[in-house]
Amino acid sequence: MIIDTRYLFLRLGQALLVLLLAFTAAFILLSLIPGDGVTARFADPALGLSADQVAEIRTETGADEPWFSRYLLALGGFFTGNFGFSVQTGAAVSTIIAAALPSTAVLALSGFTTALVLAVVIAVLATFGPATGPLSWVRRVLDSVPSLFISIPVFWLGILLIQVFSFQLGVVSVVSPGPAEALVLPTLTVAVPLSAPIAQVLIRSITDVKASGFVKVTSAKGASELWILVHTVARNAVLPGLTIIGLVFGELVAGAVVTETVFGRNGIGQITAQAVTHRDNPILLAVVVIATFAYVIINLIVDLLYPIIDVRLRSQASTASAGAFRSSTKADASTRRALATTAGSVGVDLGWDESSEPGRSPASHETKGPRS
Amino acid sequence: MTDLRPLASAHDARTSHAGRPSRTVGRRNFLSLGLGLGTIITLSACTPTDDAPLADTGQPVKGGVLTYFEPQTWTLLYPPSVGFYPNGGILNNISARLLWQDPTTLDLHPWLATELPEINADATEFTFTIRDGVTYSDGSPLTAKNVAANFDLFGKGDEARTLPVSEQISNYERSEVLGENRVRFHFSAPSPGFAQATSTMNAGLLADSTLALDAEGFGPGGATQIHTCGPFHITEETIGTKLSVRARDDYDWAPPHLSHQGRAHLDGIDYLANNEYSVRIGAVLSGQADGVRDVQAPDEPRVKEQGLRLFAKATNGINNSINFRFRHELLADLKVRQAIIAAIDRQEIVDKLFTPNYPLATGLLAKGAMGYKDQSDSWVHNPDEANSLLDEAGWGERNGQGFRTKDGQVLALVVNIALPQPRSNEVQTLIQQQLRRVGVRLSINPGDQSKQTLDALDLETVQIYHSMVARADFDNLRSNYSSVNRDVFLNGKDRTDADEESIDPEIDRLLDALASEPVTEKRQKAAEKVQDYLVDNAYVLPFFEEPQVFAFRRHVHGFATEPVGRPDFYSAWLAGEK
Repeated sequence: MIIDTRYLFLRLGQALLVLLLAFTAAFILLSLIPGDGVTARFADPALGLSADQVAEIRTETGADEPWFSRYLLALGGFFTGNFGFSVQTGAAVSTIIAAALPSTAVLALSGFTTALVLAVVIAVLATFGPATGPLSWVRRVLDSVPSLFISIPVFWLGILLIQVFSFQLGVVSVVSPGPAEALVLPTLTVAVPLSAPIAQVLIRSITDVKASGFVKVTSAKGASELWILVHTVARNAVLPGLTIIGLVFGELVAGAVVTETVFGRNGIGQITAQAVTHRDNPILLAVVVIATFAYVIINLIVDLLYPIIDVRLRSQASTASAGAFRSSTKADASTRRALATTAGSVGVDLGWDESSEPGRSPASHETKGPRS
Repeated sequence: MTDLRPLASAHDARTSHAGRPSRTVGRRNFLSLGLGLGTIITLSACTPTDDAPLADTGQPVKGGVLTYFEPQTWTLLYPPSVGFYPNGGILNNISARLLWQDPTTLDLHPWLATELPEINADATEFTFTIRDGVTYSDGSPLTAKNVAANFDLFGKGDEARTLPVSEQISNYERSEVLGENRVRFHFSAPSPGFAQATSTMNAGLLADSTLALDAEGFGPGGATQIHTCGPFHITEETIGTKLSVRARDDYDWAPPHLSHQGRAHLDGIDYLANNEYSVRIGAVLSGQADGVRDVQAPDEPRVKEQGLRLFAKATNGINNSINFRFRHELLADLKVRQAIIAAIDRQEIVDKLFTPNYPLATGLLAKGAMGYKDQSDSWVHNPDEANSLLDEAGWGERNGQGFRTKDGQVLALVVNIALPQPRSNEVQTLIQQQLRRVGVRLSINPGDQSKQTLDALDLETVQIYHSMVARADFDNLRSNYSSVNRDVFLNGKDRTDADEESIDPEIDRLLDALASEPVTEKRQKAAEKVQDYLVDNAYVLPFFEEPQVFAFRRHVHGFATEPVGRPDFYSAWLAGEK
């Protein structure tokens, strides 16, 4: 069996616990901030309300209840799908989220896919590009592209893209774009910084895998570069990439805040930015829960994908993962640590023995040559 | 981490290129690989293409949808709460009112009322006759009963629905329907400002179905449920980004005072929201949008260079000023307040940070405001006098950093940042430097809008309050300075952070006298008394008359604003093909 059912339920239980903890932590932290949304909105001198009137509204909205009863109320609401009402506008949080979520989901999906394609292309070209000859610079340049991409501030990139493609070239309209038109520039904005860590990890893991013995054997049997990449390297190199994909998902959320603000997209990011300025705690709580939920799900999927991609992870955990990184002659210590920490944080012991000799190629590696 | 303050970052983008209008595009782009890049590219590299003739003559053309950018999305269309600019910009165009106030003369004229109201001698009863044949956008008719229900809500509010009372309507008691077309409003005390209050967008009339909504119904998501009887009505809403209003073909009840009658010239307006300043300006410069509100002072010349039309519309209210909270022990001494005023160079602020569209204040009120009095001689920049006043007040000693001290206490004050006001942070930074020279330490309270609002309620946190408010009536003074309204001085009773003895009861007394004086000439006198008192006691230092600055492409004609600078698109039209 590829996926252990007991393990799956265990993980789902943990996911619920993480959600509850995130909710509680968010609630407590938001309660600690001096002043709340009700006062921030109604005591605004622009409304000209007297202190008595504000106090009356505070009582009506339940803002003066002790924090614990507000916590239970909010928690009960979340269990029954009632997220409460926005302090700033009075609109139901569920309405606001429902209006914002699809646009963010589409942006996240397209941004993520683009980032993935970008990362794979960069990683492959940086490792399989021409090593010698007049085009060898391509490889060197691409090798440093991830460092460049991760240093680009998202908002700057967004503004730059708008200036060039919309205002100067007139290719894309920012005022009333079609659904696809509206997606192109924000997708690029999100994808570029997101692709950097994925590309970086892929470059390192491909390099490592390429240097291992079984690849040399395959190569000696007469396999072409492409054949090696597709049949031998890809599957072995993808695992660390998968781990980092789960981790950078958080960056996607942060990127959405900026991207949606710059492009004027009504998404989770933009309502988060507005909710923060208005101390709109009900919206922030819902956003925290949704973001946590997505993060947990993504990482759960990533974890469940491990045994599908790597046969060695399918049997019992301790022995299965034992060889995960032995394939590399120079195991990338940081990648190893990242993977171990991720696995550890979700309760999986990878059982790596630090003293085990690296470079010993496990038997299960696919080392068969081309079938000619 | 991510900057969650789009306003602040946009602000930085504006200021970072403020002082260096360089000539070469390449070099400038190279130098500004930072926050300001976006704006700079837009403003420098766009070739001026919008060079249609500027004359506002010609026959208005019917048709076309105008696209208009706001910095923030609208939040609430409940009329008493539409002081927030994006809200007001919408409601002013979709709502009609009983009376209409001329934006230049500030005279009141009939609109949905057939004539000016009959007012009794002590201004406690106002009787309106309502026009026939007016309908709301949901088809329901405008009746005396409906008008009464509107003012019952605006005058009393409904806390259970979190719909607050209108700050412009005071002493409201009840309404009385006298017939099909006649309605009378009763007040518990004289309320001479009520007639003007019925002309503001905060008294935009709502259909019966809309009056039943709660705060949620007036918020994003329900805009198309809001039915009004103005020249435009809301047809489509995309939460957070866009709101479309379209002209009503059956609109036939424009203020009789206007020459333009009947349907609006435009087919409609699309209100767009984008937090990013460079995107808003760029969209207009590149011709993707027709207009934008909130052009920053440093960009004005460049926006004009690019061929856009710039409109700086007066807001006719209390000037952009700082208020000294005299109940704090450090500001209790008149001499200290006078010294601070003498130490501040208002001319430098206006010259360095603003353009001629921001005229130096000559009184507490703008020149166009009702109740204006010229007090320009009251605020003279004189650092020497500031120093001697502070010495006299006992602040003669200095600490190691050069700040004045008394009994070991440093003369250190905190001012808020008025985020809705133009360049408040820069203004305060300049004042900080000016006060440093006479040994007064000024700190600027950091934080976003909510934090500023909350901190400003606390005397210990904010002692100098930077603000501005606009309403074209004498009551504006009361709205701003009274302890039961905006209370800029924190002069109210039962404060935990100040003694009861430190209250200055004279301010509220003078404001009450103003609010209850029914005769216009006497109101002017009463308003002048209030201003004299505030100036004599050095409670306020005004800086400049604050405009609302708009930029439109040249094919937009007939743009106007209501008395406090909110856009009015009723008579606007688009020339040529759009």
